Amino acid sequence: MSAIPCLTIEDVANLDGVLGEFLKKAEAELTVVIDRGGNVISQFGDMTVMDVTIIAALAAGSFAATKELARRIGEVEFNALYHQGNGNHIFMNSVDDDTIMITVFGRRTTVGLVRFYSSSTAQAVAKLLKSLSTGGHGFSFDASDVTATPLFSE
Amino acid sequence: MSIINYASREIQFKIVYYGPALCGKTTNLDYIHKRINPENRGDLVSLATAADRTLFFDFLPLNAVVIKGFVTKFQLYTVPGQVIYNATRQLVLRSVDGMIFVADSQWEKMEENVESFKNLEDNLAKQNISIDEIPYVVQYNKRDLENIAPVNYLEYVLNNRKKRVQSFEVVSSTGQNVFASLNAVSQILLHKFSKQSDAPKAAPSPVAIPVEPPAAQKASATV
Repeated sequence: MSAIPCLTIEDVANLDGVLGEFLKKAEAELTVVIDRGGNVISQFGDMTVMDVTIIAALAAGSFAATKELARRIGEVEFNALYHQGNGNHIFMNSVDDDTIMITVFGRRTTVGLVRFYSSSTAQAVAKLLKSLSTGGHGFSFDASDVTATPLFSE
Repeated sequence: MSIINYASREIQFKIVYYGPALCGKTTNLDYIHKRINPENRGDLVSLATAADRTLFFDFLPLNAVVIKGFVTKFQLYTVPGQVIYNATRQLVLRSVDGMIFVADSQWEKMEENVESFKNLEDNLAKQNISIDEIPYVVQYNKRDLENIAPVNYLEYVLNNRKKRVQSFEVVSSTGQNVFASLNAVSQILLHKFSKQSDAPKAAPSPVAIPVEPPAAQKASATV
């Protein structure tokens, strides 16, 4: 926890702008930016269709699991992964060393279109994430805020 | 690695349950999933083999208290305990914020406990993290069984570092101390997170701190 990424309202608006534009051009349903540990950084699109937190955890796992496969054929990792369904599909691509972008799309578009636009979007997202503040997060609370009651109860 | 989002007013943390094979990591998550208010949790995702052994990881997202308008979200993961799945354990440990080390209290599992703890240290070291930097607690699980080591022995073997951490006698199948250990690591984690803030502390923490009594009082006390 030495460097805690802090997403300000402005950062989120900027990310939403880039992701919204991507969804419009690629005609996809949902896009989620996650770190490689499975944490959701930003999301845009129709989030009612699935639990984004779970998608993020599984996608991070799936991306990392194929790294070893890539290594076996002399690659560092696969830059992109595509899971094809009958009607809905998932495309994942690397944003930078710490971040992955997941796109869920259906029959309205094609994997080629998603792949084409995701490349420039990933570059734009990487640039935005680079500028995030990772110093002190400026959020503090008193001990009583968390010790007054158990955080989780049966 | 926690993430703080001022737009959605959320803070995310990742807690990993680590320990040897069949020590009860998945049972912990299973119990939490069953007993916590469904409004505060997502689905329990379990990537297991046909024999119910964890193949990849188990995952349970939880929402905890709201602190100053921010929802704290905890993502609980387990690692596969079997020795051969070390690559998967390294993956699950990525960006970890807090840990619960689950030890099996049975005498015959002692070597596996020690190996697993050493493996945890090694895997963290590969991410350039020392175990002392990460908030964690230790569970001594299966305290309901007969052939178990006494707690002071387990403490000597598994919790004998310079800084001893909190430990719990647990029976994960009945839920004994399952929530207590989760609450303990979450609170240590949140306190550490709060300390990393740049903001000036508005008020002193209400924790009782022993204070030198004034000289007069001191004199009377010694009479």
